[in-house]
Amino acid sequence: MNMKVHSRLQEILSKGEFAVTAECGPPRGATPEVVRKKGELLKGYVDAVNVTDNQTAIVRMSSIAACSHLLQMGLEPVMQMVTRDRNRIALQSDIMGAYSLGIKNILCLSGDHQSFGSQPDALNVFDIDSMNLIRTVQTMREQGKDMSGFELNGPPRMFIGAAANPFADPFEYRVIRLAKKIDAGADFIQTQCIYNMDRFKEWMKMARDEGLTEKVHILGGVTPLKSAGMAKFMNNKVAGMDVPEPLIKRMANVPKKKAVEEGIKICIETIAELCEIEGVHGVHIMAIEWEEIVGQIVESAGLTPRP
Amino acid sequence: MIVAEQKPLSEIKEIIALYKKILIMGCGTCVKTCFAGGEDEVAVLASALRLACKKDGKEIEIEELTIERQCEDEFIRESAPAVSRNEGVLSLACGAGVQALARRFGKTPVLPGVNTTFIGVLEKQGIFTEECSGCGDCNLAIFGGVCPFTRCAKKLLNGPCGGSQNGKCEVNPESDCAWHLIIERLRILGQMDKLRIYVPPKNWQTSLSGGPRKLVREDHMI
Amino acid sequence: MYKVINHKTKTSLSGTTRFRRFFSDHYTTERLRMLTLAMDKKFIPKITVFHCINAFTENTPLPFVGGNDYEIKFIRLPCSSMVKDVFLLRAFEAGADGVVVLVCPEGQCRYVEGNIRAKKRVVWVQNLLDEIGIDGQRLSLSNIAAGDTATASQIIDDILKNMAELGPNPAA
Repeated sequence: MNMKVHSRLQEILSKGEFAVTAECGPPRGATPEVVRKKGELLKGYVDAVNVTDNQTAIVRMSSIAACSHLLQMGLEPVMQMVTRDRNRIALQSDIMGAYSLGIKNILCLSGDHQSFGSQPDALNVFDIDSMNLIRTVQTMREQGKDMSGFELNGPPRMFIGAAANPFADPFEYRVIRLAKKIDAGADFIQTQCIYNMDRFKEWMKMARDEGLTEKVHILGGVTPLKSAGMAKFMNNKVAGMDVPEPLIKRMANVPKKKAVEEGIKICIETIAELCEIEGVHGVHIMAIEWEEIVGQIVESAGLTPRP
Repeated sequence: MIVAEQKPLSEIKEIIALYKKILIMGCGTCVKTCFAGGEDEVAVLASALRLACKKDGKEIEIEELTIERQCEDEFIRESAPAVSRNEGVLSLACGAGVQALARRFGKTPVLPGVNTTFIGVLEKQGIFTEECSGCGDCNLAIFGGVCPFTRCAKKLLNGPCGGSQNGKCEVNPESDCAWHLIIERLRILGQMDKLRIYVPPKNWQTSLSGGPRKLVREDHMI
Repeated sequence: MYKVINHKTKTSLSGTTRFRRFFSDHYTTERLRMLTLAMDKKFIPKITVFHCINAFTENTPLPFVGGNDYEIKFIRLPCSSMVKDVFLLRAFEAGADGVVVLVCPEGQCRYVEGNIRAKKRVVWVQNLLDEIGIDGQRLSLSNIAAGDTATASQIIDDILKNMAELGPNPAA
């Protein structure tokens, strides 16, 4: 990956350091304080913060605005962008706007379907898909042109991320998809949260065999469990999640008061394993609405201080 | 075929409330196949409305007529005498048929009796599934004969999202994940490498995005 | 068009002069009460019977009771699956208070699925009748084997009980 360095996250990954990223969900309202509070909790523990884009199709403060608030605090945001709500005109426009504000990382996603969210009666867009979006951002950066071929006055040069789910069906196809995203222009990958370490290792092996780990930085996703109920729910009700039975049992075997502690322990163990896997260049901690725990996890995993 | 579903009886009653003499017109093509508006359905609806009106003490006279297709003027013209005898027409054809009737019979109110839904096929008796959205730019060749624009809830062109479970779509667990079907088809055909091809953004200009479309065949016009 | 069953005229359904009668082992007290009620209101229910010729023949003796209790009309079909939705509705339009469809016992339809299709149609029309505002319970379906007079009697029993509760067809 010989390219100009565009963002701090990119710099850390290029140097071969084990990167740490976390997530921040913007509020369901126009209060920037909420974003700033979350930023304070993460500062010093992470290299970059993902800001979600109307996640689960629930209407929230826009990702670009929340990223801007985090920037002003000295944090490095990763703007998540979904293709569900905006057509190619709006997407390109927002990419340029974001870059002009100082946002240098983008994660390109399709987005959860609107039927799951707060406005199931809305018309969705899906003008282009996440693969097209990755290619678009790459074209803007490398050729300075937008989708219509127009030469941009100040092209946005973003560090491009994509999501990967080693646990979705069908399994053999997942590495083909990873290769396709890398070809389209992905620089880094953040995976779905890992509970089934064996399956993840299998996926990583397939990725290594295809030479993909030479072309992209993979950050393994983790989410600390809070209870056995949460583990069961995620396994049964959330698509693309694989929580193995032994792990659910482990959570169930501790007394309820100790469940959270156990979940954090499992998370730290997972991170330790990730550090050892060849081709994994970082960890992405998704502590949904539990940002305060990220600091503790990063410290206990021995990943502080951050460079 | 175009698939439609007859409106609930209560809604139809409201639609025809003002009329004492109506013609229920059925169509012998698409809506007949999906049991919404063929000759049999016209007969049942007429009978049901007569019973309902009798019960409510409302006067109504219902004439029944089914023509081959309500989307062609040649057949529509045949219904002219029947239409002129009635105050209003309740058409059980798809939305196109209703509008075609309205075009020809400008002086008679033409009312819809069905909700037109999709272009589909008869999967097996009693089950109709949506297959085509009429995008105007068919790419079924690269998708192994399964259309992701219509059958993927997110219109993804380059592979599935991570949400499918056991080959079913996360949005509707009764629908197959279109990409799961595509991958299976390509696997059987030995064409899995098609999955590596980057499919560029769709050109929506040929679809409904630009307003109602028109096809003109000069070679058939005199 | 309705044949009236009347013990006084001693006319049987098939039109022969043979007089058939079911005796008191078929008359329960409850049934007599219901029939008396019907008689008091002078409501003579009109029943239309659609039947498969394999399940039921019209010279099956049907119960007689005191007075003109009901009027009955038979419509023969080669297979009960031939009973189209519209026929059932038109029976009500013609003035029927109750309609019953007699089909072969499960698994014994000589055309294999006929009785299953008939059942599905009857359910569909029952729902439609509810939407119309005429109680869907006026329409029913019963399985019966040819010559099974006991079941025939029970079926008529049930219908008459039903009719007594539901009263006359509001759209007749």
